[in-house]
Amino acid sequence: MHIPDGFLTNRIAVSLDAVSAAGILYSAGRVKLEDAGRKVPMMGVLAAFVFAAQMLNFPILGGTSGHLIGGALLAILLGPMAAFLTMATVVIAQALFLQDGGLIAVGANIFNIGAVTTFGGYAVFRLLGGARNTGRIPAVAGFFAGWVSLLLSAATCALQMALSGTIPLRVGLTAMVGYHAIIGIVEGGLTAGVLTFLARVRPDLMDSNAKTRLGVADWIGALVLVALPCAILALAGGSELPDPLEKLLSIDHAAEQIVDPQKLTSAGRFGGYFVRSVLFVVLIGVAYLASRLARWKRSRS
Amino acid sequence: MSEYAVRITRLNYTYPDGTKALEAIDLDVRTGARMALVGPSGAGKSTLLLHLNGVLTGNGTVRILGQALDPKNLREIRRQVGVVFQDPNDQLFCPTVYEDVAFGPLNLSVPEEEIPRRVERALRDVGLDQSIRNRPSHHLSLGERKRVAIATVLSMEPAILALDEPTSNLDPRNRRHLIELIAALPATLLIATHDLEFVLALCSRTVLMDRGKIWADGETNSLLRDSALMEAHGLEVPLSLRGCK
Amino acid sequence: MKHNFIDRYANLDSPLHLLEARTKLLAFTALILAVLWIPAGNDFAFFAYFFLTAILMGISQIPLMYIVGRTLVILPFIVLSSLAAPWKGIAGLSVLFLRAILCLMLLIILTNTTRFVELLRGLRKLGCPHILVLNLSFLYRYLFVLTEEVLRMRQARDCRRVCRGPMRGELKLLGSMLGTLLIRSFERAERMYQAMLSRGYSGEFQVLAPRKFTWRDLAFLAGVAFVIFVTFWSGQIVKVWTRVLA
Repeated sequence: MHIPDGFLTNRIAVSLDAVSAAGILYSAGRVKLEDAGRKVPMMGVLAAFVFAAQMLNFPILGGTSGHLIGGALLAILLGPMAAFLTMATVVIAQALFLQDGGLIAVGANIFNIGAVTTFGGYAVFRLLGGARNTGRIPAVAGFFAGWVSLLLSAATCALQMALSGTIPLRVGLTAMVGYHAIIGIVEGGLTAGVLTFLARVRPDLMDSNAKTRLGVADWIGALVLVALPCAILALAGGSELPDPLEKLLSIDHAAEQIVDPQKLTSAGRFGGYFVRSVLFVVLIGVAYLASRLARWKRSRS
Repeated sequence: MSEYAVRITRLNYTYPDGTKALEAIDLDVRTGARMALVGPSGAGKSTLLLHLNGVLTGNGTVRILGQALDPKNLREIRRQVGVVFQDPNDQLFCPTVYEDVAFGPLNLSVPEEEIPRRVERALRDVGLDQSIRNRPSHHLSLGERKRVAIATVLSMEPAILALDEPTSNLDPRNRRHLIELIAALPATLLIATHDLEFVLALCSRTVLMDRGKIWADGETNSLLRDSALMEAHGLEVPLSLRGCK
Repeated sequence: MKHNFIDRYANLDSPLHLLEARTKLLAFTALILAVLWIPAGNDFAFFAYFFLTAILMGISQIPLMYIVGRTLVILPFIVLSSLAAPWKGIAGLSVLFLRAILCLMLLIILTNTTRFVELLRGLRKLGCPHILVLNLSFLYRYLFVLTEEVLRMRQARDCRRVCRGPMRGELKLLGSMLGTLLIRSFERAERMYQAMLSRGYSGEFQVLAPRKFTWRDLAFLAGVAFVIFVTFWSGQIVKVWTRVLA
C-alpha cells in the first residue's frame, strides 16, 4: 500500500506532497509546543507502536498476509489531528527506515495512510455514535471505523495510480479495495477489540477523546484538505498540459532517424539493443567496482 | 559549598487525577550524607525523588545546594541532581550504551572533547568494561542495564544522587557489586529502597514514609529495630537486627 | 525484529558518510526528482543516472547484496502493474521499472549513509516542523524498547498457549496483547520523558560529533547539480549532435 517512487506522475506526486506538507504544518501548529512537552513523547511512542504493529503480518486465507494500519484507532484515541501527525510520522519513518514508499511519493502515502484513515475513520466513528455512547456501540463503531478507513485508503490509492496511468481504475479498485475489504475486517476487529479492552482497563484513556473534539474550523479545514487533492488530481492528472521540463528532456525522435537508417533489419535492431544493454551493464559494473574499490581518503578518526 | 544538599519545606503534591501523593514533607539532607527512604509501595518515595530535579513540582519549597527550584535554573539543578529510575529500560533509549551514557553530558553542553572521557569514567565507576560501549542496551543483562543506567547519570557528574530501588531484581552477586559501587561514590546519596539490609550497610540515616507523609526520621539502626513502627507501616525489622542482638 | 534494520550501515566510513545531512538530503532529493522527470526514450539520461548511482553505491561502501535485497522489495509492485496494464509494452514498463529502481537505490544510499539523529537534525535545519522531528526521534528511541516488549509478550503468550485456537480467539488474544502494549506504551512514554528531562533534555537535538558543512559538501552539491544540468539538456544536446552528424 505504500507507493514507491515512479508509480505516480510527477504532477500528482508533487501536488500531494504539497497537500501533505500543508496538513502537517497546520496540525503541527495546532499542537502548541508548550503542551508538546507532554504530548510529544506520547505521540512518538504511539508512532513507534503503530510502526511496530504495521510490521506484524498476520496470515489470512490462502497464504496471503495482511497487516494493521491503526489510523482509525489512533484517531479515536487521540483525535484526528494528533493522529494524523502521528501517522505522518510513521509513514515518513517507514520511508526512511525501510524504504517502504518512495521519497517523492511520501506525500501521497501520508495522504492515503495518514489523512484518509484518520479523518475518515474518525468521521465514521462519530457518525455511528461511538463517542457519545457506552456499552457495545463504541466497539461496533470502532469496527466500522477501522474497516471503512482501509477501504477509503485503498480507493484513494487506486485512484491515484489510475490517474497516473499506472494501473487502470477498474483493476486497481477491484484489487486494492477488494484486498483491503478483507484485511479491513481484521483491522476493524482489532480496533474494536483494543477499544473494548481499554474501556475496561483504562477508561481514562478513552475520555481524552472528548477533549480533542474538533471545532467547526477543523472540519472545514479537513474538508478543504480532502477536496483540494481531488480537484488537483481531476484537473492535472488527466490533462494534456505540456510539461516544460519533459519537453526539454525528450529526445527528438525525428532527429534520431537520420542517424539510424531504416536499412537495419529487425534482427539487427535487436542486436543493437542487445549490444547496448550489455555495454550498459558493463559500464555500470565498472563504475560501481571502481568506486567501491578505490581507496578514498578516510576521515581522521 | 552549602551545608545542606537538599532542603525541602512543606512540600505537597497531588496527582492530576486528585490523589494526594505528598503531604507536608519536611526534609533536610546534609552534603555528603547517605540517606535511605523506606516505606511500603505507594508511599510516595519515587514521587518525592522526582521533585528533587523539578520533573514534578508541588506546593512548597525545594532547595538544592542552596538554590530554590525555578524554571530558569532547572538545567543547572539537573546537572547537580542525578536521578536513577527503578526500571533501567525507562532510561536506556539510545542505540548504543555509549550514546546513552553520553546523552546527559551532551544535553548539558559539555564540550565535545570532554565527552569520551566522561563516558569512560562513568563506565569504569560502575564496574563495566569499556567494550560494552558499542553494544545496544537490549543485549545486556538486567544487572548490566542497571549499572549502565547509573552510568548515564554519573557521566553528568552530579553532586547529589537519587536512586530508586537500585537493588531490585538483582541476583546476589550483582547486588553485592552494586552496593560496593554505590558505597564508593562521593556524591550525597538519597536512596529509596525496600532492601533494608542494603540500608543498614550503607546509610546512616533513614526516613520512613507512608501514605505521602514522613513518619520517622533518624538513625538507621534504631529506626529499623523498632518493630512496632516497622510493622505499622508495612515493613519488617531486617533479619540481621532480629534475635539476640 | 532487530533494531539494526534502521540505518544499519550509517556508521561506516566513506566520503558520503562524511557529508552533512542537509547536503545529502538536498542532493538526493534533487536526484530522485530528476530521475522522475526523465521521459521514456531518453536513454542517455537514464544511463547517466544509473552510472552516477553505481558510483555513489560504490563510494558508500554499503554491501551490494543489501542494496539489491532491498530493491527486490519493489518487485511485487512491478509485477502487479505489469499484469494490470499489459498494453504499456516493454518500453512503458521498463521506464516504470527503471525509475522505481533508481529512486529506491538513491533513497537507500541516502538513509544508509546518514545516522538517523543526524538526518533529523538536517531535516530540522531545512525547515521541517519541530514537532514532527521530535516525533520521529521519539519513534526511533522507543522502537528499541518496544521491540523488546513485543518479544517478551510473545514469549509470555507462547508459554501460556497449548495450541493455536480458532481465528476468532486468536484475534481476541491479539487484541488484548495490542491493548496491553498500548497501555504500557502510554505509561512508558511518561517515564521515559521524565528520565530524559532528568538528564537535561530540553527539546533540542544534540548529536554526537555532528558533521560540519565543508568543501566536500559544496563539491558534492556542485557535482550533483552539474550532472542534473547536463542530463536535463541532454535532449537538446542529442538533437544538436544528430543534426551535426547529418
